[in-house]
Amino acid sequence: MTEHAVSRESFAARIWRKTLDGAGVKVGLAWVALLVFAAVFAPFLANSMPLLMSKNGVISAPVLQYLSMEDTWVLATFFIALAVYRLRLGTAKRILLFLLGSALAAVLVNLFVKPPVLVIYDDFRSAAYTEADWRIMPPIPYAPTDYLRDLGSKGLEAPLVTEGHTHLMGTEENGADVLSRMIHACRISLSIGLIASGIALLIGVVVGGLMGYFSGVVDMLGMRLVEIFEDIPTLFLLLTFVAFFGRSLYMMMVIIGVTGWSGYARYVRTEFLKLRKQDYVQAAVASGLPLSSILFRHMLPNGVAPLLVAVSFGVAGAILSEATLSFLGLGVVDAPSWGQMLDQAVKSSTFNWWMAVFPGGAIFMTVFAYNLIGEAFRDAIDPKLSSKAGVNT
Amino acid sequence: MLTYLLRRLLLMIPTLLGITIVVFTVMAMSPGGISAQTLVGGMDMKPQEKQALLEYYNKRYGLDQPAPVQYLRWLNNVSPIGFVTDEHGKRGEFSFNKGMDLGTSFQYGRPVSDILAERIPITLLLNLVTIPFTYLIAIMVGMKSATHRGSVFDVGTSMSMLALWSIPTMLAGVLLLGFFANVQHFHWFPTAGISSREAQDMPFLPHWDETGFVRGFLLDRVWHLVLPVICLSYGSFAALAKLTRTSILENLHSDYARTARAKGLAENDVLWRHVFRNSLLPLITISAGLLPSLLAGSLIVENIFSINGMGQLAVEAVKGRDRELVLSITWVSGFLTLIGYLIADFCYTLADPRVSYD
Repeated sequence: MTEHAVSRESFAARIWRKTLDGAGVKVGLAWVALLVFAAVFAPFLANSMPLLMSKNGVISAPVLQYLSMEDTWVLATFFIALAVYRLRLGTAKRILLFLLGSALAAVLVNLFVKPPVLVIYDDFRSAAYTEADWRIMPPIPYAPTDYLRDLGSKGLEAPLVTEGHTHLMGTEENGADVLSRMIHACRISLSIGLIASGIALLIGVVVGGLMGYFSGVVDMLGMRLVEIFEDIPTLFLLLTFVAFFGRSLYMMMVIIGVTGWSGYARYVRTEFLKLRKQDYVQAAVASGLPLSSILFRHMLPNGVAPLLVAVSFGVAGAILSEATLSFLGLGVVDAPSWGQMLDQAVKSSTFNWWMAVFPGGAIFMTVFAYNLIGEAFRDAIDPKLSSKAGVNT
Repeated sequence: MLTYLLRRLLLMIPTLLGITIVVFTVMAMSPGGISAQTLVGGMDMKPQEKQALLEYYNKRYGLDQPAPVQYLRWLNNVSPIGFVTDEHGKRGEFSFNKGMDLGTSFQYGRPVSDILAERIPITLLLNLVTIPFTYLIAIMVGMKSATHRGSVFDVGTSMSMLALWSIPTMLAGVLLLGFFANVQHFHWFPTAGISSREAQDMPFLPHWDETGFVRGFLLDRVWHLVLPVICLSYGSFAALAKLTRTSILENLHSDYARTARAKGLAENDVLWRHVFRNSLLPLITISAGLLPSLLAGSLIVENIFSINGMGQLAVEAVKGRDRELVLSITWVSGFLTLIGYLIADFCYTLADPRVSYD
């Protein structure tokens, strides 16, 4: 008699295990983890000031003194996320706790962190900082906005050619170190990718959910709206939004989110159209639950799996959108960004290969990583859509 | 068929209206918006002249009126039926054959229709060269990896296609331009434009004459198009090749393919006559979405290779807050997209006789 192995694995756990099966997805996750690490600890990885120094017996940490409010908040949020992950709680409670914690951190940071307003990087190369008993410098001893004026940097120097300093990836047009700028630019890419697709997802789920649940007239009107947003080339719509609404980082997140929801809406709509006649939904309606509860507590968790795939491709798309906008000269002005650096590769009369290869490579790797993750998710969730479809039949 | 065509064309009107409303709202809601001040603002001129220009803009385009009125006014000018307006902006009587007036561009001072007539053919040329090229490669690669599934070729292409698909267009463009068109490395291709100046005087076809080989207008154009077309096509053929593979695999194992084999047909006939035709449907579905993505791609490619097409125009128009140009580019590209959908629907009937729209 054959024994039947009964799996007690939950659906989510099985999807997660199957997703992690391939090699590609591990590479993708490792790259994203590396980016997160670089983004969170950017001021400690690439900065002009010493991490720790001892002068006349007094030990000080200039990096900590000069940590900006943003840096502090990012660090705090990272550790809150770690702590929340370790706690044994339900997903909803974890998310709520995380949001509360990061909001609290934002308030505390605003109240208590008062970094010096003016940072003159040249000072850190003066005797006051260099003639110490001992000091530990960050791995890349240049800040992203340190244009090395006092060192006579001419800008756009190829990697490892500058005498006296090592610029592993060369310098950009103003003379700042490219590697340092790339490390700090991780923040923009990651945050835009996550928050913009979060906004798009929210709009898409609400619009698509309403369309799928009510069908009929609501569905028809909603689909026209979706079609309108799909028929304008997205990049062009983005361009119009950004050119007319200014270029702050937060505005860009909102704009990329607002222009990218139509795909999610389509997904959720099809999923909800299938679900709305199911018995448990009918039961929820019959027991008089409020609409938000039916839509988001009962229907959404059952239609969420294919959405995850769309989200990881969506994050790749959002990162690409930001890079493209920066490349076209419509990105965030004051902060370093990969797309903006890529633009400098051909802007001057010569071709600066290091400005194309490194930032461009970073964009490519990030987009590739999210696509790999998306692919693995899809294979795990829907074997019919899988890229391996037909192989094992 | 004719009624279907007519219905589809009529259904385009609300979508096009919606597109222009969305874009107009974006422009009207933006801080500063579109006003005569923002247009005149930066120019260096005497106060009286400035005032005169301001009044001219206000009168010509009604920029001092509330946004909905401005939109309706623009719509009236653009639609082929509506109220006749004279050059002072006075509204005349209703007419059915007044023609379309796309307005005058703020920053070029020329009629928008003239500018578009120059730029659209260039972008269309780029895209129309790209599409067959894309499909050819995609079908070849997809077919080979489907018939040799699980082989080294199959596994290799499936990974490298995902990698190709993830390469940002601007990275590919910058690298191609830097390495293959720059004097520092290989100066094989031209850096900018879609034809060189001397090509204007050349005969159309390449030939030999007393001075040696003359490449002719055609070859010159091809030579200029190589890099931009590579840039535009690799992303789409990567996606298409994956799709072709899945779709062919699905059909290879279907009953009718087995029947065909059982009848004793050659494997090639089974593949190309039976399986391939049935695998075309999802490819056609994707082709409808290909045009908008190509239009967006040409936005980047035209900027990298300095091609004076609609993509470059779009970036210039948006940067210069050129209301008339932005609105016209929007609805024209929306219109092209919708035409793409329509063509895709017609291709269904060609590929699959079961599909009919009557």
